[in-house]
Amino acid sequence: MRAAALLLTVLAWPAQAAWEWSAPLTVNSVRGAAIFPHLESANRRGIAVSGDTVAVVWEDNRSGRPQCYLATRPAAAANFQPEIQLSQGECYEPAVMDLGAGRFVAAWEEAGKVHARVLPGGQVLQLSKADAAQVTLARRGNALYAAWAEQAGRFRRIVVARLALKADVLSVKLAQPVEAAMPTDEQGWPALAVAADGSVTVAWEDRRSRHTVPMASHSRDGRRFAPPARLTDRRSGSVDGLGAGTGAMRPTLAAWGKQGVAAVWLDKRDFLSGYDVYAAFDPGTRRFGKNIRVQDSFGDNMAQWHALVVGDAGGRLVALWDDARDGTPDVWLSDWDGQAFGDNAAVPGAAGPGAQSDPAATLDAAGALHVVWLERDEAAGTRIRYARAARQ
Amino acid sequence: MKLIKMLLTAGCLWAGAVLADPPKGYPFVGYDAGLAAARASGKPIFMYFGRYGCAWCDHTNKKTFSDAALKKLYTENYELVYVDAESGKRLTLPSGERITEAELGVRLQAFATPLFVYLTPQGDKIVQIPGFKTVQDFRDYDRYVRGGHYKRKTLLEFLGGKS
Repeated sequence: MRAAALLLTVLAWPAQAAWEWSAPLTVNSVRGAAIFPHLESANRRGIAVSGDTVAVVWEDNRSGRPQCYLATRPAAAANFQPEIQLSQGECYEPAVMDLGAGRFVAAWEEAGKVHARVLPGGQVLQLSKADAAQVTLARRGNALYAAWAEQAGRFRRIVVARLALKADVLSVKLAQPVEAAMPTDEQGWPALAVAADGSVTVAWEDRRSRHTVPMASHSRDGRRFAPPARLTDRRSGSVDGLGAGTGAMRPTLAAWGKQGVAAVWLDKRDFLSGYDVYAAFDPGTRRFGKNIRVQDSFGDNMAQWHALVVGDAGGRLVALWDDARDGTPDVWLSDWDGQAFGDNAAVPGAAGPGAQSDPAATLDAAGALHVVWLERDEAAGTRIRYARAARQ
Repeated sequence: MKLIKMLLTAGCLWAGAVLADPPKGYPFVGYDAGLAAARASGKPIFMYFGRYGCAWCDHTNKKTFSDAALKKLYTENYELVYVDAESGKRLTLPSGERITEAELGVRLQAFATPLFVYLTPQGDKIVQIPGFKTVQDFRDYDRYVRGGHYKRKTLLEFLGGKS
């Protein structure tokens, strides 16, 4: 048994050695047994780095109802500064994106509509006219985009908006549904990526096939979108006249390399072991290829949750998620080495006794990885924890 | 009282219109409505954690929940809650925490659907059982839950000692 443990440690060492981690910091300044922070947004965009400043957004109920908060940490500061409240009404699923030079855009759902604001400063802009939720953000240079799920008749559908920014003033330049036709079933949880060539990719959960299928569409100019295609290479269909297909949910996207876009989502094609983490790549052809399982064999018989992918123009690509293969939930990551996803490595500080889950992450301009997660403690309350990792 | 009944009925109709794959003809409601109803009625909760398009859920609905006597037993004695394993619809746990229906699957460590969860009227978990089950299975689980055997035995111990 000890020999097996030693072998596993040796085998895992190269992957763990790839990143050098800072000591974790606590992000939220208020905690308590009845305060429940959530790092939850479409595309899992709860952290961004702008210049030397890290920003984290989340929702919690410290005021007695769900509100959205943002905390920042300038590189020179030892800790995160006390958070500011983004919302006035009931708020859910905030996302944040860097604008460069220490500025950010945050977006969130409030009172049934989606909103955005430039920080620091800036006024709140209501992005959607109709009821909407699950907003996310992406940019390339000066091209800013938001996507959300908006009520259209009986169901929600995906809307992509081009945003304009003058000084601290945001406005919606153009907002349009990915498909002109009314949705025939629910759509939600959009993810956005703007590739190096400026083309926009949007992915989302789609139930038109009578089960949940991650789908994607591309636009060369952010105006006209191609007919949606499946991210998954599994077909829909009943088995012996039963059901409509296996489950999949919460697609995430990252622009990656010179032209590429990577997608990662939770997939239940192996329906007896919970959701697995799957990925697909668009190398620049604006078609996603075959699906690749991300987690290694040690996570096979274990449900994975809260998966996401982050990438950069330098070709770095990292998938993160949480699972309880070691007995309690821990945050795991896997690097893409150009051919395959590597051995899974637990994030130090987000692994071990207790529950560490719900990662959100980003890569900064220097290629450093910034990760936040929830560290649950039923008695003392949940902490949002942050750590930075650099390549050794 | 009449108004409350009307609101509950309207809630059931609305829930029936938007829920994913609960068995036909059962008055399943969402989590929050079911918890409120259980607190008011004192009945335990039978929670069906299903997935849109799930073949085994479909099989269970057709093979098991089509049984008229089972329908009567569960409709009369439980508050029936349906949760969609992939939905972003929000619910509030007894602790006061607001999570999505999909996140409830994380908390339950759900690895397969259907997953059947029995809860006290206060929302505390009694037992959860994954996968296809027969009419007789659900009758046994009913005896375990409403007979209060769960306070003294595990489900396996109870089932081992039945007959």
